[in-house]
Amino acid sequence: MDILGGLVHGFAVAFEPLNLLWCFVGVLLGTLVGIMPGLGPPATIAMLLPLTFKMSPAGAIIMLAGIYYGAKYGGSTTSILLNMPGESASVVTCLDGYQMARKGRAGPALGIAAIASFVAGTFGVLGLMLVAPPLAKLALSFSSPEYFGLMALGLAMVVLLAGRSMLKALLAALVGLWIASVGTDLFSATSRFTFGEVELLSGIDFVVVAIGVFALGEVFGNMETHDGIRMQPMPKGLRNLLPTLQDLKDCRFAFVNGSVIGFLVGVLPGAGSTIASFLSYGVEKAVSRRREQFGTGVIEGVAAPEGANNSETGGALVPLLTLGIPGSGTTAILLAALVLWGFRPGPLFIPDNPGLFWGLVASMYIGNVMLLVLNLPLVPLFAQVLRTPSYVLYPLILGVSMIGVYSTSSSLFDLWLLAGFGLLGYLMRKLEYPAAPLILALALGNDFERALRQSLMMSEGSLSILVTRPISAVMLSLAALVLLIPVFGRVNAWRLQALEQE
Amino acid sequence: MRIPVYLFAAASILGATASIAQGFKPTQPIEAVVHTGPGGGSDVLARAIAVMLEKEGLLPVRMQVVNKPGGNGNVAIAYMAEKKGDPNTIAFFTGNWLTNYLVAAEAKFTIRDLTPVARLVLEPAVIAVKADAPYKSLKDFVEAAKANPGKLKQSGGSITSRDNVVRQLLQKASGARWAFISFPGGGQRIAALLGGHVDMMVIEPEEAGQHIRAGNMRVLAQVTDKRLEHFADVPTLKEAGFDVPVVPQVRGVVAPPGIPRENVEYWQEVFRKLTQTPSWKKYVADNQFESGYLGSAELVTFLDGFYGTMRGILKEAGVKTVR
Repeated sequence: MDILGGLVHGFAVAFEPLNLLWCFVGVLLGTLVGIMPGLGPPATIAMLLPLTFKMSPAGAIIMLAGIYYGAKYGGSTTSILLNMPGESASVVTCLDGYQMARKGRAGPALGIAAIASFVAGTFGVLGLMLVAPPLAKLALSFSSPEYFGLMALGLAMVVLLAGRSMLKALLAALVGLWIASVGTDLFSATSRFTFGEVELLSGIDFVVVAIGVFALGEVFGNMETHDGIRMQPMPKGLRNLLPTLQDLKDCRFAFVNGSVIGFLVGVLPGAGSTIASFLSYGVEKAVSRRREQFGTGVIEGVAAPEGANNSETGGALVPLLTLGIPGSGTTAILLAALVLWGFRPGPLFIPDNPGLFWGLVASMYIGNVMLLVLNLPLVPLFAQVLRTPSYVLYPLILGVSMIGVYSTSSSLFDLWLLAGFGLLGYLMRKLEYPAAPLILALALGNDFERALRQSLMMSEGSLSILVTRPISAVMLSLAALVLLIPVFGRVNAWRLQALEQE
Repeated sequence: MRIPVYLFAAASILGATASIAQGFKPTQPIEAVVHTGPGGGSDVLARAIAVMLEKEGLLPVRMQVVNKPGGNGNVAIAYMAEKKGDPNTIAFFTGNWLTNYLVAAEAKFTIRDLTPVARLVLEPAVIAVKADAPYKSLKDFVEAAKANPGKLKQSGGSITSRDNVVRQLLQKASGARWAFISFPGGGQRIAALLGGHVDMMVIEPEEAGQHIRAGNMRVLAQVTDKRLEHFADVPTLKEAGFDVPVVPQVRGVVAPPGIPRENVEYWQEVFRKLTQTPSWKKYVADNQFESGYLGSAELVTFLDGFYGTMRGILKEAGVKTVR
């Protein structure tokens, strides 16, 4: 079936009243789940799975996919308002999003997150529709050495996330790598840094560290200052609650960057939305004319990662539907759902089930529009959260953090960890260690190590495999370039200093 | 020597008081504990079973899946151990729980502390290569591995997984040697094979189906005792010339320690009936599992045999066993 015919057929399926309803239910649930830290799309989909047996497969997949991409829209809300990343991919959004909120620009930040999500989300669906099968083949040429290159490139972004001191950023990154190494080693089944604790055998959950270091660290830090009742300035008037034309202009490149990087990374089953959002943030910062202002609340620093995060969804469906290969927890449960309904995603899935595939694609276009319409009006509402006096807001953040963490693991141990990491976050703030490098290294550490060790097993211990394979060589060269960026900056500073002295 | 606490000794004492009311019947919603997050193998099985039990009217109450991920399954096991005597909790175990008993030194509780209820399924596996690979039979592959020791590669799960056990057994039987590369997700193992980055993998038949039909994958042998319906023209390991023990991937049900005999019998009966229903048969056929029901007493014997075999295999794989 050609694309146009398929799409017409797909829209016919997606516009059936019942399917429209399921689409709306899906994106609404997704938005809600995304806003709440902790309970993520995989858990939500799993809970709804028994219900879907009574639905038509098209309606069911439309709804479940709606939860998946809808959650990506909502994920930025708590990052921006409370510095509380609800999932690993929205950690980067905290960096500039929360700073914007502190400057009274929470509205524009939330607004641009929704708009970037819409633009890039739609781009992701376009990609899924146009290039799925050939791109899936390309994704297969990625294996461990290539992933090592990609992870190295991601880790190199540390130099872009560093504050004033490069040394402190690197130290924080090393701590992040160490935390990532806690748990059972996949290759030898031995446990590392578990101190005899059963709960540590599966490692430390990323969300615990991210919420602890970011949200709790922020709360502890703010408790020291007794500055009044209100936490942040809030300009009046609806106009100040949405992005301006200038904001949109500033984000032009971020939309493109987020869309493309998000989709491409999404197609790779071993990568994930965290690295997509970090990479697009890094690229945005590296090419920006106001690089030094990143981290102080620039709007494209929100648009790029939020876009990437959403475009990744379309990308991630490529290997799932064309190869039957899930790249993340959510796509894994979508796969399980399809199998339970009697479908087997794989090379023959699209030709065998054109109605299902095209119906899904069409519903994703519709769902993205629904999400934009749903989320933009919510912006002024959510921005009101910041009017809450701090003696209410801080306990609320603490409570939501604890509920969020407990709901993912139902483990009291994780709550202790959360408290510990909150303290770490507080100390890091006091001593001016940037938190982002720690989180980045933690997010990528496991994949980084695993890819390296897999590569070495493939090559029987020879490191040359990392540079003789073209894709990985290119990635590593890019990583080296990124690492050199601060050196260029310094050379430039010296030059300017020298000029002044003359 | 450690005496298995299993059920009878302790349970009969505890049970004497609890079992005054003849014949157990649950009156509250049942907690079904799984060690994976939502979407993991156990989770999906448990949810499918919950739906089937309801549909077939085998359970008077609702069964609710409770995810206790973490510690490679040990968190779920410890949780079950703490539920000592609780009649409204059961758990779905996998092969993981069994190997954990042998390798996880941290584990304060193991599956041996729990009450075995029933074995439900055996998951067979097939040995697959990429469709354009030069190997037409398992012998071809093993010979090639012999000619280039350590050069050929197999993608698989962790070192204690069935994938690696099959490799160890084949290596030992043939004297060949090839590399084993661990990937945490099943998808990544397939991607590595289809991308030509590894040469062979042990895969579940249902997972391989699409790729075989699409002409991307070829099956060399099946890790089963007798041929599977969908792979009628593929030799078993023994038929392919490798007389090695077939290590099944098992899934089943356990209950907390110290529950009355009546409860064990009740659950045993529920699951025995379940495995005879049409919904179960369809589920097993769709997933190309083997239905492998065993009651509590047989499960105990099975597990003891399993530990014996696995201990030897893990030792040879260079994995330290602690029990």
